[in-house]
Amino acid sequence: MDEIRVTIDGKQLSGHPGMTILELARENGIDIPTLCYRPELSLLGACRICVVEVEGSRTLVGSCHTPITPGMVIHTHSPKVLETRKVIVELLLASHCGACFMCDKANICELRQVAAELEVGLPRFEIKKRYYPIEDVSPYIERNLSKCVLCRRCVRACRQIAKRDLFAVAYRGFDAKVVVDSDRALDKEACRDCDICISFCPTGALSKPRKLSEEKKGKPLVITS
Amino acid sequence: MSKVATNPENLLARLKQAQDRLGYLPEECLAEVARSLNMPLSEVYGVATFYSFLSTRPLGRNVIRVCKSLPCYLKNSRMIVESIEDKLGIRPGGTTPDGRFSLALVNCIGACDIAPAMLINHDVHGDLTPRKISRILQSYE
Amino acid sequence: MPEKRIVLKNCGVIDPKNIATYLAADGLKAWQKARQMAPEKVIEEVKAAGLRGRGGAGFPCGLKWELARKSPGDEKYVICNADEGEIGTFKDRYILENDPFTLIEGIAIAAYAVGAKQAFIYLRAEYHHLLDLLTSAVSQSHEQGLEVNIEIREGAGAYVCGEESALMESIEGGRGEARYKPPFPPNRGLWQKPTIINNVETLMNIPRIILNGAGWFSQTGTEKSKGTKVFSVSGDVARPGVYELILGSPLRELVIDLAGAEKVKMVQIGGATGRIVPYTMIDTPLSFETILGAGSIIVYDESRDTIDIVYRTLEFLAEESCGKCSPCREGTEAMAEILARFDRGEGREKDIKVLEELARAMSISALCGLGQAAPTPVTDSLQYFREDYAKRIKQGGKVRC
Repeated sequence: MDEIRVTIDGKQLSGHPGMTILELARENGIDIPTLCYRPELSLLGACRICVVEVEGSRTLVGSCHTPITPGMVIHTHSPKVLETRKVIVELLLASHCGACFMCDKANICELRQVAAELEVGLPRFEIKKRYYPIEDVSPYIERNLSKCVLCRRCVRACRQIAKRDLFAVAYRGFDAKVVVDSDRALDKEACRDCDICISFCPTGALSKPRKLSEEKKGKPLVITS
Repeated sequence: MSKVATNPENLLARLKQAQDRLGYLPEECLAEVARSLNMPLSEVYGVATFYSFLSTRPLGRNVIRVCKSLPCYLKNSRMIVESIEDKLGIRPGGTTPDGRFSLALVNCIGACDIAPAMLINHDVHGDLTPRKISRILQSYE
Repeated sequence: MPEKRIVLKNCGVIDPKNIATYLAADGLKAWQKARQMAPEKVIEEVKAAGLRGRGGAGFPCGLKWELARKSPGDEKYVICNADEGEIGTFKDRYILENDPFTLIEGIAIAAYAVGAKQAFIYLRAEYHHLLDLLTSAVSQSHEQGLEVNIEIREGAGAYVCGEESALMESIEGGRGEARYKPPFPPNRGLWQKPTIINNVETLMNIPRIILNGAGWFSQTGTEKSKGTKVFSVSGDVARPGVYELILGSPLRELVIDLAGAEKVKMVQIGGATGRIVPYTMIDTPLSFETILGAGSIIVYDESRDTIDIVYRTLEFLAEESCGKCSPCREGTEAMAEILARFDRGEGREKDIKVLEELARAMSISALCGLGQAAPTPVTDSLQYFREDYAKRIKQGGKVRC
C-alpha cells in the first residue's frame, strides 16, 4: 500500500499503513510523552499521557495506539493537550506515596520526568494515597506498590519478554493493584537472574533489594572533622 | 451449554460455577482453576476480584444485596439496611455467626420501579418496608 | 402525544413462556420475510429506517451492520447487550420479562444480515432471575428453525461491562476492562472477529422495521431520531415504570403527565453518566438531537439536595470504574472525594475550579465512555445549581491546606 500523508504540528509527514501517530511523530523528532507505552511490549493505552488532538475528533486520542489515517491533522502540544496531560500527571502524583527526595529511583523516574516537562508542581487534589507495605521478602526483587502508577509494564514484560507470567492486575477502580498469585508478597525463585520487570518499571515501585552490608564492603569509614 | 465450561476462554464461567457450588472462591479453588486452564494464579485472582458477584471470602448461605443507588436511596433504602442490621446483628460486609446470612450494599439492581429493593441470592424483593423484612428473612434457611 | 407502543407491542399481550402466543401475534414473520431478502437488502432497510442504537450512544444501527457485513472473515458474532446497569434503568428487564421472543427474532435477523452463525446474549448477574425464562424462550425459538445459535452468557456484577469492549472482554472470560479503539467491534470485536453489539431495545425494533418497512418506521420521530424510545422512570414520581414514547416527545409529558411527578427540582436523564437538567428545561424534547441516553429518567423533587445526589452519583462511578486508564481511575475517585467534602459542608472555593479542570480532562482523555461521561453530572450541576455548591463552602473554621 501507499504511504499515508498526515499533518503533525503543521508539518507534512508521511508514514506507512499501520503506523501509529506516536511512531510517526517520534520518527520525525516530535516528542510525545508516554508512560505505559514501550515499543517492546503489547499496546495498552491505559495511562493516557500520550493523548493528542486530532481535528474532527470529539475527544483526544491515545497516540500510542491510534493508527494514522490519510489526511489526519494532529496537534501534539496544543493548549488543550497540555492541560489534559498536566491533569493526568497531577492525578497520578496525588495518589502516589513517598517523597522524591527519599526515593532511590528519583533520578531515573519517568513519572518525575514527565511531571517536570509538563511543569506540574504539587498536586492540588487531596485524594487518598495508595499505601501498601513494602514487599522485601524476595532476595531478587523488592516491590513498593505505594509508588506504582498501574502502567502494567511489569505485567507485560514478565509475560511477553521474561516469559514467567507472574503478575496480573486484580481488584478494580482505584483499588486496582498488580498482584502475584492471590495477592501475596512477591517471593518467587523464578525471579532469580531476572530483573526484566525492574528495568521496565517507570517509578521506584520495583527495585533490586539493597544490601547495605555489601554497599559498605571495602569502603573505609572516613570521618572528617 | 456444556461447551462453555471446556472453552479455555471461560475463566469467568468457571469461576461463576465454582462460586455457585461452594458459595465463595477459596484459594485452593482458584489454584485448581488456574492449573486446569494453564493460567497463572494471579490472572485467575484478577478476574475473581473484578466482579462484585464473585467473592474470595466466605459468605453466608444466603446473600442479601440491598440496593444503595439513587432511586432506592430516595425511597429510604437506608432504613431497610438499618432494619436488617437490627434483625441480624451484622453490618454490611458481615456474615451472621450461624452462617445463615451475609449482608452487602450494592449498586443498581434494576428494580427502581419497586424501590427500595434488594436481592436475596437471586430473588428480587421490592417495595420494601422494615415490617416486610422479618417475613422475608424468615423464608431463607 | 400519548404512549405509542412499537417496541413494547407484545408486552402484557403474549405469554413470554409460550412461543405459540407469540406466533399468533405475527411472531417470526419478520424473520421469515428477512430470509427471502438478500442480507444487503435487510441492512439497507435498517439503514433507511434511520434506526439508531438505543444503548445511549445513538450510532446508526444499519451502518454498524454494514461494516460488519463487509468485514472480511467467515466467523462473525452478534452480541445482544442485556447488561443495563445504568442507575435507574430497568426497561430491558421489563422487555425480557414480557417479550423475549421479539428480541430473539431481532437477533436472528441481525445474524442473517451480517452473516453470523453465533450470537450471545450478555445478561447482567442482577437479572439471573430471568435466566430460566430467557433460556426457555431461546430453546423454543431454536425449535422454530433459527439458523443462528444463541447462547446466554451471564455477567458477574460490573457496571462497566455495559461498555461494548469491556463486555467482549467479559464474554471472553476475563476482567471487564475497556479496550482502546480503533479497532471497532465491526472490524475486530469478540475474539478479534467482526462483531456487532446491539442493545436489547435496538434489536426489538428490527422485526417491526422488517415487517412494516423502513418507510413506516421513519414516519415517527424527529429528523435524526426515528421511532420510539422506551424509558424507565423512577425517583419522586407517583407512577414509576416503563413508558414508550415517540422520539421528540417533551420531557414534561413523560415525567409529569405519565409518571405523575410534582414539584420537580431536576431530572437525571441517562443515569449516572447522563445529564442533569433543572425544572426550567422540562419542555426539552427527548431525542438524539437534544438529550436522551439509554432511557433512565430519575426525578428529584424540591426536597432533594443537589450535592447529595451528585456525590452519590460519582461515588457509584468511582466504585464501578474498571481501573485501567488513569483519568477515570484516579479522576472519579478525586471527584468523589471532593464532593464528599461539599456534602459535609467542608467545600472550598478552589475545589470548584479543580472539579471543572478535572471534568474537562477526563471527558476528553478517558479510555472509554464511562470515564468520558463520568464528569457530566458534575458539569451539569455546576452549570445549573452552582449556588448549591456555594452553600456548602466552609465558612471560617480551620482550613486544611
